[in-house]
Amino acid sequence: MSIFEYNGSAVVAMVGKNCFAIACDRRLGVQLQTVATDFRRVFKVHDKLYIGLSGLATDAQTLYQKVVFRHKLYQLREERDMKPQTFASLVSTLLYEKRFGPYFCQPVIAGLGDDDEPFICTTDCLGAKELAKDFVVSGTASESLYGACESMYKPNMEPEELFETISQALQASVDRDCLSGWGGYVLVVTPTEVRERVIKGRMD
Amino acid sequence: MSRRGDWVYENNGGTCVAIAGADYCVVAADTRLSVGYNILTRDHSKICELADKCVLASSGFQGDIKALHKNLAARELLYQHQHNKRMSCPAMAQLLSNTLYYKRFFPYYAFNVLGGLDSEGKGCVFTYDAVGSYERTGYSTQGTGSSLIMPVLDNQLKSPSPLLLPAKDAVTPLSESEAVDLVKDVFASATERDIYTGDKLEIVVINKAGMKREYIDLRKD
Repeated sequence: MSIFEYNGSAVVAMVGKNCFAIACDRRLGVQLQTVATDFRRVFKVHDKLYIGLSGLATDAQTLYQKVVFRHKLYQLREERDMKPQTFASLVSTLLYEKRFGPYFCQPVIAGLGDDDEPFICTTDCLGAKELAKDFVVSGTASESLYGACESMYKPNMEPEELFETISQALQASVDRDCLSGWGGYVLVVTPTEVRERVIKGRMD
Repeated sequence: MSRRGDWVYENNGGTCVAIAGADYCVVAADTRLSVGYNILTRDHSKICELADKCVLASSGFQGDIKALHKNLAARELLYQHQHNKRMSCPAMAQLLSNTLYYKRFFPYYAFNVLGGLDSEGKGCVFTYDAVGSYERTGYSTQGTGSSLIMPVLDNQLKSPSPLLLPAKDAVTPLSESEAVDLVKDVFASATERDIYTGDKLEIVVINKAGMKREYIDLRKD
């Protein structure tokens, strides 16, 4: 079994009209055994920037701690929050520093940039950035997520419709993946508010 | 894989889908044949008509698939001679399972989806693994794009899902044209993200009037 499939994960981010949504599943497993059903994979960096980390859970937590540390330093020095594009480059650099002994994670970065323009991107475990205008996916259910998002996505969705779409895509995809599931955390971020919802799905 | 002197299979890619309705069955497959990163042809049918109400779509190693289809067609002809009627879809389903398991220790590298009308005229879809394990479901997909398509079909066709327990009626309440539109949509999505799926989509619709074939263009990249 691949090291990326040790814990099981599913993370997806989608762009809407002046908003974005980021979602993850809730299962934490140790190979076939489920160990937690409320595990968080999407973390806040600042009010308008979130990072979702799929892959090996220990590396996801370590990488999150490193990234938060670097962002806090940036805030102290620059007296402002980091832009999502800058943050994506930061994550990319942190990952590439470990080029020959990598973190086994695939981050998904989502934020509102200048003029509250939504920004999403994903990187592989070595830091190669992939910017997308529509959606990005990662985790053990990534193939299913690609298919579901490709079919269900349309541009310029309002926050409520975006929430429905990303939830349906996530649920349909993790239902076909044994290593992810047990519900989902879905965050919809607009310039004025952040709504986090916990969705219940097949509990297996 | 090709460096080993004894590796006898190759994957020619492609995706197959089938959806069963109350009085129809839709079976579809793309027409791309690939080896590695190359396309051998954009115009290769993965669908075989085994009987007047029974159609088989297979993806995987086309060498084994050609042999399998030939084998089944020959057995169907024998059945016709012996029983003076064509094979029904559920009978063909069992025959396919047995044929695949016959080669349990040197399998056909074929991922099959069998679609048609059962003896009552209701749509039926049977899905297989490479060694003959099969299940009657309301819809299924096999091949390189199957993991992209399956969740979308689960989402749109909840009632005949194999994931629901107790098993509900194995046909979808969608109309024939809605099912064909759904098939076109899912293949368009799979073509975007799967390199082995594309070029053209061949759709076969079976209902009591007979069999109808349609070709739709897909992205060629």
